[in-house]
Amino acid sequence: MHPPTVSCSAGAAATRRLLLRPLRPAILPSSRLTPAPPSRSLSSTTCRPITSSPSPFNNKNNNRPTSLHRPQQKQQQQQQQPLRTYHSHTHPAPPGPFTPAEAHLLSAAYLHVPAHGFTPEALALGARDIGLLDISPAVLPDGGAFALIRWHLYFQRTCLAGKVHDIFAGEGEGGAPRTVGERVEALAWARLRGNEGVVGRWQEALAIMAQPSYVPASLKELAQLADEILYLAGDVSVDPSWYTKRASLSTIYAAAELFQTTDTSPGFRETRAFLRRRLDEAARAGGAVRAVGEWVGFNASAAVNVLRSKGVRI
Amino acid sequence: MTEEGRIVLSVLGALTFCAILAFFAIYFVRIKRPTHFGYETVTESEKRERVAGVFTSVAESYDRMNDLMSFGWHRVWKDHFVASLNPGFSPLTAGPDPRGPQHILDIAGGTGDIAFRMLHTAHVLNANPAVRVTISDINRAMLTVGKQRSTTLPASQQAALSFVEANAENLSQTRPLHPYPSPLEPTSTDAHGRQEQAFFDPATATSSIPSNSVDLYTVAFGIRNFSNIPAALREAHRVLKPGGVFACLEFSKADRFPLFNAVYKEWSFRAIPLIGQLVAADRDSYQYLVESIERFPSQRDFRDMIVDAGFVVAGEGYEDLTGGVAAIHKGMKPRA
Ligand SMILES: C[S@@+](CC[C@H](N)C(=O)[O-])C[C@H]1O[C@@H](n2cnc3c(N)ncnc32)[C@H](O)[C@@H]1O
Repeated sequence: MHPPTVSCSAGAAATRRLLLRPLRPAILPSSRLTPAPPSRSLSSTTCRPITSSPSPFNNKNNNRPTSLHRPQQKQQQQQQQPLRTYHSHTHPAPPGPFTPAEAHLLSAAYLHVPAHGFTPEALALGARDIGLLDISPAVLPDGGAFALIRWHLYFQRTCLAGKVHDIFAGEGEGGAPRTVGERVEALAWARLRGNEGVVGRWQEALAIMAQPSYVPASLKELAQLADEILYLAGDVSVDPSWYTKRASLSTIYAAAELFQTTDTSPGFRETRAFLRRRLDEAARAGGAVRAVGEWVGFNASAAVNVLRSKGVRI
Repeated sequence: MTEEGRIVLSVLGALTFCAILAFFAIYFVRIKRPTHFGYETVTESEKRERVAGVFTSVAESYDRMNDLMSFGWHRVWKDHFVASLNPGFSPLTAGPDPRGPQHILDIAGGTGDIAFRMLHTAHVLNANPAVRVTISDINRAMLTVGKQRSTTLPASQQAALSFVEANAENLSQTRPLHPYPSPLEPTSTDAHGRQEQAFFDPATATSSIPSNSVDLYTVAFGIRNFSNIPAALREAHRVLKPGGVFACLEFSKADRFPLFNAVYKEWSFRAIPLIGQLVAADRDSYQYLVESIERFPSQRDFRDMIVDAGFVVAGEGYEDLTGGVAAIHKGMKPRA
């Protein structure tokens, strides 16, 4: 279990991509048209959805992982600063960088999410696992519940790049995807499967994400996911239709995710069918019908519905 | 903009300014000012009560200054500060922490505003009565007021509280609170016949706060008054256990919103000292208040100081409150 490695390499990928984005297709390296197999291989074990919680807390647990490293962390912060300013002009900021200390704690807590949800319970258990105190998660913004959700979103999103090779080689169900559209579907499906371990907890998470102070960050994550999928699928359009595609993909993904929280069919078959239907509809309508306004509207109403289901009167 | 436009605007501005000023003037006059009793002959116990009364009003005047600087928001900030730290939380499934009960140290804790909230969250909301809180301050008169206020708490919470005199810059020299004034150390008066401040004298220290003994170190609206902030941060790092959390609530810089910042600056540099002079006849204290806030480092610089002291941070390391008028900084002492 060494997540900082995962986040670092993924961060590099994000950087490369964001630097490429403003370029015209003509001068893009041709490898972008057919995504090259990832240069590094994220072990699929690392990125597999978490399905089981680790053994319950054990007092005599003394095989503690290495300690957090301070100097590294300061260095990283300094390196990230200029990057962020650069991107803020054209694109959403890169994934909220998790400091190494934060990543260490969140990745430990993440293993407890299937059993305990995105809660202080999971955070405190994770802290104990790595030899920290019950109070340690207090160092996270707002006590950490939303940070844990962001960790899930970030982790699963960045895992996609490592799975691309397998997906495109046709190792998933349904054979090798050929068109950009098929690849988008395969990638969105792979991402949905990343939710498997936390599906039972996802409605709670949506309720947290719908809190006003978290909405912007949540929408940003969704947009970044759409970016990632379109990029990995080899979509090279740099014209305005790119924004429409991103918006409609975001809408469809969010809807499929909501659908998934109530899906009890084996292997989430119904969710997959739902995803395919919605993507087909969008393709038939030319992909240009869904405006950003509709997308935001959808997210707002989905959030309201979730909150209502939690007993909030809206 | 035309010349008239500018004149109209400045007249409007001046009117708004006066209105706010008047509002606070009324607010102040409503509060009873301390009575002078220097020339009366009073018994020792009466005197003690009255001196305590003066310090109650010192504590009140801290509150009032906080109100002025924060537009009354500081109570909300304190609630948020404590709630987001969630003291006393322990995983239900794993039972109480095998490493012993949580120990919270509230530095510059003065009259207990933060400590009492901590106790309530830990003991009542998180049902964890094992949590202990130490309130520490350099001014034992403030602590004496805090101790008096604590008598209204449930007995179990009072039992979990302790009061310690210490300078935050050196926590290896402390002593348990000697109530102020005490029969052992009669209060002295300065050249003008005023009661002297009851600051802790390290020469009288009898104990210390051990290294690696604290889970949560808090300091609210105190750190900007310290003369050596890096020394205080080093001490925080020393007394915290590995995995322990440093948390600071302090006035900060609202300069991310230029317009709001301009108004806020105007308010703090012009109105507040004026109010202090007109109403409390104490321009200097209010001037000091404003200047100490201005001198305090920016959010990022202070975050870097925390990192330099050996802490690790999450995200940006701080959270702005009300547009940056105040900020919460947090850091964790990593495992060695
Ligand atoms: C504005 S009060 C804050 C009281 C309380 N924490 C609150 O939030 O209301 C500032 C406190 O800092 C204390 N203080 C100032 N310098 C100090 C130092 N070097 N060490 C410890 N306490 C100090 C003062 O005595 C005073 O009680």
